[in-house]
Amino acid sequence: MRGTLLYIGQRLVLIAVTTVLVSSIVFLLLHQIPGNAFLNETRQTPQALAAELHRYGLDLPLQSQYVNWVQGVLHGNLGESLVNRQVKITPLLVRETSVSATVGFFALLVTVGLGLLLGVVAALRQNTWIDYLASSTAVVGYSIPSFVIAIFGLLVFGHYLYLWTQGTFYYVPGWGKLEQIPVPALALGLPYASYVARLTRASMLETIRTDYVRTAWAKGLKARVVVVRHALRNALIPVVTILGPLITGIITGSVVIENIFGIPGLGKEFVTSILARDYNIVIGVFTFYAALVGLANLTVDVIYPILDPRIRY
Amino acid sequence: MQDLKVQFFVSGGTVNAVDGVSFEIDRGEIVGIVGESGSGKTMTALSLLRLIPEPGRITNGRILYGEKDVAQMTDEEIREFRGNEIAMIFQDPMTSLNPVLRIGFQVEEAMIAHQRFSNKQAKERVVPMLQRVRIPAAKDRVRDYPHQFSGGMRQRAMIAMGVSNEPSLLIADEPTTALDVTVQASIIELIRDLSRELRASVILITHNMALVASLCNRVIVMYAGRIVEQGPTRAIFKNPQHPYTWSLLRSMPRVDEKEKERLISIKGLPPDLGKMPPGCKFHPRCKFRVDRCFTEEPPLDEVDPGQRARCWVLMKNIANPEAQAQT
Amino acid sequence: MAQAAPVIQPDLELSYEMPEQVTLLSDAWRRLRRNRLALVGAVIIGLLFITALISIVWTPYPTWLQAVGPTYQPPSAAHPLGLDQAGRDILSRIMGGALITVQVGVGSAIIVSLIGIPLGLLAGFYRGKVDTVISFFINIWYGIPDLLVALILVFVLSDALHLIPRGVLVIIIAFSLTRWMDVARLVRGQALALREREFVEAARMSGARDFALLARHILPNALGPIIVQATFAIPAAVLFEAFLSFLGLGLPSPTPSWGAMAADGYHGMDFAPHIVLAPTIALSVTLMAFNWVGDGLRDAFDPRMRR
Repeated sequence: MRGTLLYIGQRLVLIAVTTVLVSSIVFLLLHQIPGNAFLNETRQTPQALAAELHRYGLDLPLQSQYVNWVQGVLHGNLGESLVNRQVKITPLLVRETSVSATVGFFALLVTVGLGLLLGVVAALRQNTWIDYLASSTAVVGYSIPSFVIAIFGLLVFGHYLYLWTQGTFYYVPGWGKLEQIPVPALALGLPYASYVARLTRASMLETIRTDYVRTAWAKGLKARVVVVRHALRNALIPVVTILGPLITGIITGSVVIENIFGIPGLGKEFVTSILARDYNIVIGVFTFYAALVGLANLTVDVIYPILDPRIRY
Repeated sequence: MQDLKVQFFVSGGTVNAVDGVSFEIDRGEIVGIVGESGSGKTMTALSLLRLIPEPGRITNGRILYGEKDVAQMTDEEIREFRGNEIAMIFQDPMTSLNPVLRIGFQVEEAMIAHQRFSNKQAKERVVPMLQRVRIPAAKDRVRDYPHQFSGGMRQRAMIAMGVSNEPSLLIADEPTTALDVTVQASIIELIRDLSRELRASVILITHNMALVASLCNRVIVMYAGRIVEQGPTRAIFKNPQHPYTWSLLRSMPRVDEKEKERLISIKGLPPDLGKMPPGCKFHPRCKFRVDRCFTEEPPLDEVDPGQRARCWVLMKNIANPEAQAQT
Repeated sequence: MAQAAPVIQPDLELSYEMPEQVTLLSDAWRRLRRNRLALVGAVIIGLLFITALISIVWTPYPTWLQAVGPTYQPPSAAHPLGLDQAGRDILSRIMGGALITVQVGVGSAIIVSLIGIPLGLLAGFYRGKVDTVISFFINIWYGIPDLLVALILVFVLSDALHLIPRGVLVIIIAFSLTRWMDVARLVRGQALALREREFVEAARMSGARDFALLARHILPNALGPIIVQATFAIPAAVLFEAFLSFLGLGLPSPTPSWGAMAADGYHGMDFAPHIVLAPTIALSVTLMAFNWVGDGLRDAFDPRMRR
C-alpha cells in the first residue's frame, strides 16, 4: 500500500514535469511567431498597442516571459485571453474541461462497454453468424474516422429522423441537455470500440482455452462465473494496457467532434483560439490536455496491478 | 462406463480419440490408467466430466455414475455433478490455477458452487482444507496468489480444491509429471491418504508404471484410444498378456531385475489417430505379431479371472519373449 | 562444422545472411496472399494509386473549376458524383483528393522511417547516453496528444511563420516530426535484441565496422516489423490530413482534400448529402484498405501474433 502511494506520488511529479515540458514546447513554438492577436486591430495607436503589450507582459524578452509563464502554471494561473480581454483562462478551461470530460466519459463507456460486449460475445460464439457479424463490424468500424461517424450521425439523427429528434438538439448552440450526449459519444467511441472488440475477442479466445478455465469448469462453477470471473478477468489484462493510447485518441478525436456538434468544450476552444490567434488560450488548452492524458495514464497504471496481481510497483 | 466413444470433428474428417472404452470403478478403489501420450487416457478422464474440448464430442456410450448417465445430464445437472461427485486434478499446476485470484478464494468458490456449505462455512473451511493438504503456514498463505506458490504447493492447492466437496471419485491426471522428483512422492502420498480418509475412489492417469505399482488396485492399459489390457495390478505386473503391456513393463528399469535382462524400448511411435492401421492397432510396433493381427482387431477377452487383454497371441503363449524381443 | 570449412570473411557475411532473409520474405508473402482481407485492401490501394496517377494528367473537369453546372446538383449522367456548393465536379475532386492522399500517406511513411530508423538504431545499438536521450523523448511523447502538437506545428510553420506554404509538405513534416517515435521505439527494441544475436556477434568478430553491422545485419533483420509500422503510418497520416483540412487548418481551398470536401459538404448536408458522402466514403475505404494490408503484413511477418 505504501509502495503504491509512493509510486503514485512519483508519477504525479513526473506528470507535472511532462506537462510543463510539453506546454513549454508549445509556448516556445507559438512565441516564435511575430505579431499576435492585437495586430489585427488596425485602428490602434502605437501607444495603445504598447500599453496592451505591456499589460500582457509581451514586451518583455522571451526568457522573462517564459519564466513568468512557468511561475503562473505552477500556481495554476494560465493568464488571460488575448482576444476577450480580462477573461481568466484557468477557470474558463476548467469549465470547458468538465464539458469535454462528460462527453469523453460517455465515449469511453461506449468504447469499453460496447467493445468488451462485442468481443466477448464474438469469442463465446466463435465461428457463428454472431461472431462473423461482430468481427466484420469491428474490422470495418475501426477504420472509419470519428468525424465521419459524426457526420453520418448528424445526417441520420438530425435530418432523416428529424421528426423523432425534432431537430432541436443538434443544431442549436445551447448545450447541457442529456439527450445531446449519445450521438457525439458514439461517434467518438465507436472506432475505438471496434478496436477493443477485436482485442477482447482475441484475448478471450486465448483465455477460454487455458487450463485454469478448464479447472473452473471442472469445479462445477456456473457458466456465468466461469466466463466472467475466470476468463474475462484475465482477458481484460491486455485490454487495459491499450486504455492509455485510447484515451489520447479520444481526446484528439474530441477536437473535431466538439466542433461538429458545437459542444463548448476544450476541443472547440482549441480550434477557435488557434484561428483567432489567441495563443495564451492555445497554450492553456494544451497544458490541460497534457495533464489530462498524464492523469488518465496514471489511473490505468493504478488499475493494472489490481487486475493482475503479478504486477507490483 | 460402457463403450465410450469420443470423436473429434476436425477439418478433413473425424478422429476417434477414444473408441469403445468400457470399465467400471468400485467405491474406494484406486485405478491406474496408463499409456503413452495420445493414447486417449486424458480424453477418457475428461469425458467423465464432459469436459472434452472443442471440436470433440462424446458420440457413443454411457457413463453411468450410480444410476445416472453423465452423457445424458442437463447442463445444470452436469455442473452440479462436476467437482461435487467427481473432482479432477490436472497435470500442470502452473497453468491450472487462475493467476489473478487468491488461492484461498479459488478453494472457497469450489465449495460455494455446490450449496454443500454456506458462504460462511466455506470461508471457514478454506484454511483447514489447506492444512489438510499439508500446506505450511496455511493461515498466512490463503491470501497469496498462485505465482507466490511453488509448483508442489500449487498442486496441493489443486488437491484441496478437488477434495473440498468430499467427492466420491477423484481423477488425477498425471498429477506429478510437471513437478520436481522430490515433491512427487509426497503428492502421491497425499492423494492416497486423502482418498482413504474420504473413502473416495481414485483414477490415476499416468505413464509411470512404478507409480501404478505402488498405488493402484487395478490397472487399465490404453493404446490408440482403446483398452488393450486391464486387470488387478498384481496380475498385470506379474503376467502381462498384451505385448504392449509387457513392453511397457520391460522398458521400466527395476531394482530387483537381474543385470543380464536388458531394458526393452518400444520402437516406433503410436499411430496417428486419423490414420489408424487396420487389424490390431499395435501390430506395426509388435514383435510378436501373427498374420491375423494385420486384418482383424482382437476383442478384449478374459485371459485370467479378472484380467482381460486385447490380443490374438497373448504373452503366456510365447516361450522366450526376451529373446524374441531383442531381434 | 567450423573445423571442416575454414572461414573466409566475405563469404561468411554473405552466406550467413541470405537464406534467412529469403525464407522470411517469401514465407511472409505466402501468408499474405492467403489473407483475403489484405488482398482486398491491396486491390483498393492499387485502385487508389492508379486514380491518383490518372488525376495528374486528366480529370473530367479541373478540380478547381467552379460552376460547371448548378451548385449542389445531385449525381447525374454528366457528373456521376454530382456537384458541390461551388458547382465543382465532385468526381474530379475525389480523383484529385486521391493524389493528395497518396502524397501525404506515402510521404509521411517515408519521412517517419527516415527519422525513426536511424534514431532507433542508434539508441538500440549504442545504448548508453544516446539511448537515454532518445528514450526520454519517446516516453515523454507517449504521454501527450501528439496530433494536436502536429496541428500547432502546421499552423506555426505555415500560417504564422510562412516558412513552408500551407500544403502537403508542411502536413507531412508536422506529422513526421510528431510521429517518428513509433518507428524509433520499434527499431530500438529490434536493435537491442538483434545486437546480441550470434550472427551479429560473428560479423563483429570478423571485424565488421559498426555501420556495416547496422546496415547489413541489424537493419535487414528488423525489416519486417519496420515495414508493418511504416504501413500503419500511412492511414494515420491520411487521417491527420483529413482531420486538419476538415477543421480548416489543413490544405487551403480549392485543394481537393477529402477532409476539406467533407467540411464543405457538411454545411449543406440537409439538402445535398452527396457532397459530404463522397469524400467521407472515399476516406473511410482508403483507411480501411491500409489497415487491412497493415494487419495482413503484421500477421504475415509475425505468425505468432496471429490468432
